[in-house]
Amino acid sequence: MVRSRLLSVFKYLALCALMIIMIFPLVWMFRISLMGAGSTDLSRIFNTEFTLVNYVDLFSAHNMGRYLFNSLLVGLTVTIANILFCFIVAYALARYRYLYNKILFITVIVVLMIPAHILIIPLYVLMVKSGLYDSYWALILPWLVNPIGIFLVKQYIESIPPAMEEAARLDGAGELRVLLRVVMPLCQPALAVLAIQVFFTNWNSFLFPYILTSSDDVRTLPVGLALYQGYQAIDWQHLMAGSAIAVVPILIMFLFMQKHIVSGITAGAIKQ
Amino acid sequence: MRRTRSVASVLVLPWLLTILVFWLFPLVVSFLMGFTDFRLLVKEYHWVGLANYRALLSDPDFLKALKNTFVFVFGTIPITTVLSLGMALLVNRHFKGRGIFRATYFMPSITSMVVIALIFTNLYQRGGYIAMLVNLVGLTAPQNGFLYDSSTALYSIMAMDIWMSVGYYMLIFLAGLKSIPDELYEAAQIHGAGAIRQFFSITLPLLKPVALFILVINSIKSFQVFVEIFVMTKGKFDTATAVYFIYETGLTTGFKFGYASAAAYMLFIIIGVFSAMWFVLLRRRQVLW
Repeated sequence: MVRSRLLSVFKYLALCALMIIMIFPLVWMFRISLMGAGSTDLSRIFNTEFTLVNYVDLFSAHNMGRYLFNSLLVGLTVTIANILFCFIVAYALARYRYLYNKILFITVIVVLMIPAHILIIPLYVLMVKSGLYDSYWALILPWLVNPIGIFLVKQYIESIPPAMEEAARLDGAGELRVLLRVVMPLCQPALAVLAIQVFFTNWNSFLFPYILTSSDDVRTLPVGLALYQGYQAIDWQHLMAGSAIAVVPILIMFLFMQKHIVSGITAGAIKQ
Repeated sequence: MRRTRSVASVLVLPWLLTILVFWLFPLVVSFLMGFTDFRLLVKEYHWVGLANYRALLSDPDFLKALKNTFVFVFGTIPITTVLSLGMALLVNRHFKGRGIFRATYFMPSITSMVVIALIFTNLYQRGGYIAMLVNLVGLTAPQNGFLYDSSTALYSIMAMDIWMSVGYYMLIFLAGLKSIPDELYEAAQIHGAGAIRQFFSITLPLLKPVALFILVINSIKSFQVFVEIFVMTKGKFDTATAVYFIYETGLTTGFKFGYASAAAYMLFIIIGVFSAMWFVLLRRRQVLW
């Protein structure tokens, strides 16, 4: 009895230590973002001086507002496109079984297995040659339909009995109406998982937004942050305030939609 | 029947188009580019056969980048896998506050890599927080900060990467643990098997498919490490990795598209071999456990 109580005390200690290690860097970021101008020496960091001036600066004197707008625009467009296209394609694959199912399977494997680094050079060349380089299109078009998303939604549609659609058709509803009014609402849980995954990936992505753009007009938040560091001696206060702006929306979404996020991540693993 | 077939074809179109234009076509083109001396702003290019591949194998920068990539992969994957399994076991059973612990462990992996890399650049800097901790333990921190020293830079980035990704793999292990039926443990208990015996005879063998998934996903991801290198060191201080090399030769000085494409395919082959290796290793029962 004593032994098991001791064990559980140890377990809680380990759990809490881990929790501090995992949260600490984010706390550190917020702390620096709330400091006044000047050095970020440790002695000042542990002080009690707080100010919001860095956040105000970012929106008035820096490009952060523009980056934030670009990130939102690209992220939301890609997410909405994925919900629509993945759903439509998944429906076709689930209800009309043709050779497409084999193509889907192959593309899912390809996207999972083929590393994205192979696309760095050819996508850059493609975008430059087609004149899409440094435009929103370059950031949106390649990611419109995610094969893994199709796979996820297709699995879900297959679990819905087709009787409801047939009933709607007998009542004279057109194909599009059946799709958007009958089937889509039923797929809401799967589409939510898909939307969150796509938005998070897009919001955080750096490599392709970086290599496919060259001007501040279309650059997204992560790109702006990574390059901001390079211009002058590091201005930690503003850099960390910008980082906080990039992180906070994700953290808030995470708090409210933890279930969907977790099930999206584990769905792929369990299917294996 | 005819109608539904054509409806299906129309519905599938957007997906087939994007796959064709933004995946298949670039993949084929860059494969072919690997056999040419194609570069930016040069109109003429020539078919050079395997010359790029041969040049790569004697290019000290590429070999160095490969070596750094291997150090990164083999340094992080075992630690990440073991730690994440340990964490999964720690938060598997039901207890008070379990959800909060799980959520906080997972949090770093949904945060932007750029942001994490920036925060750790600050933590690792000269006179920074981690230098202070190291001094407290009685060791000496590198004079110019952890990222400005060839003997610590790559390892510091690896440590950050482990910190960031353990929560993600913990979640996948948790899903695997959940799929193991309770009856197995009950039966083992009846037969007098202790906790340790249960772990090695039930938990580990049944987690094999999940472990395989994790090893494959993590090695594909780790072989491609780039963002943290770009943000934290720009490839200096012995931290340039394979993808950083591809970026640097292909998209900065020289814009050698052909050469960089060949390097990309070389890395692809290495990744393919490793994914295959995990499959073979884990299929045989006795090798890993």
